[in-house]
Amino acid sequence: MSMPTAAGGYTCPYCRMASEGTDRTCPHCGAPVDVRLRVSDSGWIEQPPIRDMARIRFSRSTCQISGAYVPVAEMGLHDDDWVYFSHHVLLHADPRVRMDNMSMRGGWKRMRAGMPLVMMTARGPGHIAFSADEPGETLALPLRAGQAVDVVEHRFLVATGNVDYQWQNSNIWFTTQDGDETEWHYPLGQTMDRFTAAGGNGLLLLHAPGNTFVRDLAPGQRILVQPGGLIWKDPTVAMFLHFEYPRGQYWFSSAKYQAKSIWLTLQGPGRVAVQSVFERPEMAGAVQNSSGATTQYW
Amino acid sequence: MDRIQCQWCHAQNETGRTNCTTCGAPLDKKDLVSDSGWSEAPRLRDMTEFRFSNSTCQIEGEIVPVAELALAAGDSVFFEHHVMLWKEPQVPMSALNTGGGMKRTMGGMPHILSVAHGPGRVAFSRDAAGEVVVLPLHPSMELDVREHAFLAGTHSLTYSFVRIKGLVNVLHGGGGMYMDRFVTHAEPGLLLLHGYGNVFQRTLQPGEQILVEPGGFLYKDSSVTMNAVQQKIKTGLMSRGMYLAEMTGPGRVGIQSMYVHHGSE
Repeated sequence: MSMPTAAGGYTCPYCRMASEGTDRTCPHCGAPVDVRLRVSDSGWIEQPPIRDMARIRFSRSTCQISGAYVPVAEMGLHDDDWVYFSHHVLLHADPRVRMDNMSMRGGWKRMRAGMPLVMMTARGPGHIAFSADEPGETLALPLRAGQAVDVVEHRFLVATGNVDYQWQNSNIWFTTQDGDETEWHYPLGQTMDRFTAAGGNGLLLLHAPGNTFVRDLAPGQRILVQPGGLIWKDPTVAMFLHFEYPRGQYWFSSAKYQAKSIWLTLQGPGRVAVQSVFERPEMAGAVQNSSGATTQYW
Repeated sequence: MDRIQCQWCHAQNETGRTNCTTCGAPLDKKDLVSDSGWSEAPRLRDMTEFRFSNSTCQIEGEIVPVAELALAAGDSVFFEHHVMLWKEPQVPMSALNTGGGMKRTMGGMPHILSVAHGPGRVAFSRDAAGEVVVLPLHPSMELDVREHAFLAGTHSLTYSFVRIKGLVNVLHGGGGMYMDRFVTHAEPGLLLLHGYGNVFQRTLQPGEQILVEPGGFLYKDSSVTMNAVQQKIKTGLMSRGMYLAEMTGPGRVGIQSMYVHHGSE
């Protein structure tokens, strides 16, 4: 569905960037231009898969998305452009592409959180391609200068050199007791990535297992999502845990705790995106302590 | 009489056909080639049927496709036994000793391949989302395939395996100790592979090189050399530098976009 701008051009309903709208796909994020916006009754917009062989332009380079099950993002890098990525998403490269290391701060914490300690950089000229290891969709998020997004760990595929990468503790956790031992749970992962376009527009590519849905939350509006289903959010969106205990007769006392639901509350304003494939949080045990959370007993 | 050439296997087809009779590739769709020259393996339409020898193969499903073979009397196919999804009870089975004994065991490869003989139907599938890659092999061709990637091969193919040379290649090449080698002699043959995720193919010119993530390698013509080459890039605190597979032409190289190591590998 085209969204006309004041200038009579086209604003992509998915990435919100303006273009002439004369191509079949948005030049900034690759979303099809001529498809109707698919909105569920509750307001989630289904992100359409990027068309096979669609090209996205950034700086003086291009990114071409190919494949449907586990898409490949193939970058045609210009001499002046560079990208960074984690080594395990690299699929193939021209021998003339110059690859190097990009050290990360907080090595020990990243290692404990299962995050890559070292990122790699690739500089043009040449072609280099990336893919993830699960069926799903490649998401292209063009970022305006100064714009930031928060991304759940392990969703990152590749970003252009002018996108600043920081990471922070997710601050989403709870503990349970197993005998004398306290077990820590991080349903969103221990860390969260923040990408900010610095000095100019940037491009961020993510890989989301399954299908992807996005929506805008109004100021104060809340939605409960599975913690493992979140892909990215605007930094303005607040998040905290929500524990929900269903009403009922329980055969033994601990059943109540096993029947609980662990939700992530997202509170607007801002955009959020979720994926249809997610890992369920561990349910066992009574919650002893947690990051900021609300509780509901039915 | 006008003919249409299949862009994937180069077989000639009668005009008006929508799928290639030799490999099932759609004939009414353009070949999808990326800017750097990788061709997407043709996405076979659900229920696409094509012929080999006196038998037929039908591809069913699109997420984890099934290859269903209707074997004629006198035709047979060989395969690793765990890829067989179902068979008709009357289809006779036999075993094909691969040779290699302990070496195969050490390499995590089966000693024995199963053989299904016509007449009757038998179906195969692997264990993750991906594509069936149909490779008709002309006479006198040699194709190397990463271990545990082949779904089935027709009786006219000679199966052997080649040890990946060089300790560095074995330890860091991502493909294990052996590669399956399929050879045709006087007769053509048909090889069915399962690629995880999406599959892409590129033809390298003599001396042309490309670096590929070792886990992404799927198949190559035996004329293409493959070496694990260490990059001067550290990927962790204790690591000494990552390895990539350096492929040197001439010949075809096939890669898969999902290179997670599955339980079967």
